[in-house]
Amino acid sequence: MGAKEIVEKIKSEANEEKEKVIREAKESAKKELEGAIKEIEVQKRRFVEAEERKCSEEKKRIVRAARQKARKLRWMAEEEMIEKTLDATLKRIKSVKSEGFKGNSYPNILGGLIKDSTISIAAGSSAGVDVEVILSEEDASASYIDKAMLKNLTDEISNDSGVNVRLSLSDERMKSAGGVIVRRKDGEIEVNNTVEQRMARLSTSLREEIMKTLFTGT
Amino acid sequence: MKDFKNLSIIKITDYRSNTMAVEALKIIREGEEDGRKLLEEAKASVANILNEAEQEVKRLKEKAREDEKSIASEISAKYVQEGKNEAAAIMKTADTEVEKLKAAAESNLEGAVNVALERILGVR
Repeated sequence: MGAKEIVEKIKSEANEEKEKVIREAKESAKKELEGAIKEIEVQKRRFVEAEERKCSEEKKRIVRAARQKARKLRWMAEEEMIEKTLDATLKRIKSVKSEGFKGNSYPNILGGLIKDSTISIAAGSSAGVDVEVILSEEDASASYIDKAMLKNLTDEISNDSGVNVRLSLSDERMKSAGGVIVRRKDGEIEVNNTVEQRMARLSTSLREEIMKTLFTGT
Repeated sequence: MKDFKNLSIIKITDYRSNTMAVEALKIIREGEEDGRKLLEEAKASVANILNEAEQEVKRLKEKAREDEKSIASEISAKYVQEGKNEAAAIMKTADTEVEKLKAAAESNLEGAVNVALERILGVR
């Protein structure tokens, strides 16, 4: 083999080697790139899933807040109508005083409240009980409760309760739209049956009944 | 002295042969040098190819990070809008319900006042 042939062989082998290493490098670069793209795609998918979960929670929060706001709106409308009913009720007390209510005159209604209050005070007492009735200035001036009525009430309560009750009208006046305060003369026991107090005391059940009537008509 | 002439011929032949061998070696060395250069070039190309690939991977990852920001805001905007739409529908229904509720309550107001008076005045 001559020198030229040897040189050709060397060059040819070197070229082959060059092409080989470049081909391998290209292959390796391609693999690295493909691997990276795959990894990026996986990461992107995970990222999108995580973001979707997070944003879905945000959406749920917005919807929950709206539902809560809607409930509050409804509750506020109910409250507004209940308050309107209670206001109208207090205003109706004036007409009840002049026209009565459901076939009962206002004095009769007061009589009923006095009876209930006195029976509560007399309950548990074996001896006689002195009880006084306190009215508002307006009701006292209108003389809705007179001595004859008190006498009748006294007899009725004594008979019903079995306790000797003595009822009297107090000179003391209270501030109220209507109703009575009944107090044992020694001041130990007092039953406040003014319309405002009864309204407050019955508040929970009264509101339920008002709601039922307002929104279902029953 | 009789062989002197022949000796000279031999020497000349040797000289020529030596010169040719040197020349051949020189050519071979040059060839080897060229071969080395080719391999050096190959090494440089490989480094370049790998470096470019590395840069491309870096660029793709950077782009993916950049894309994540816009993907996040797109997803967020989509879900927030959906939430707002549902919320608006809920509030619209609630407003209608409240209107109906108030209308029903207004028509039952007198009855409710009577119920309240019955309880408050103890008339039943």
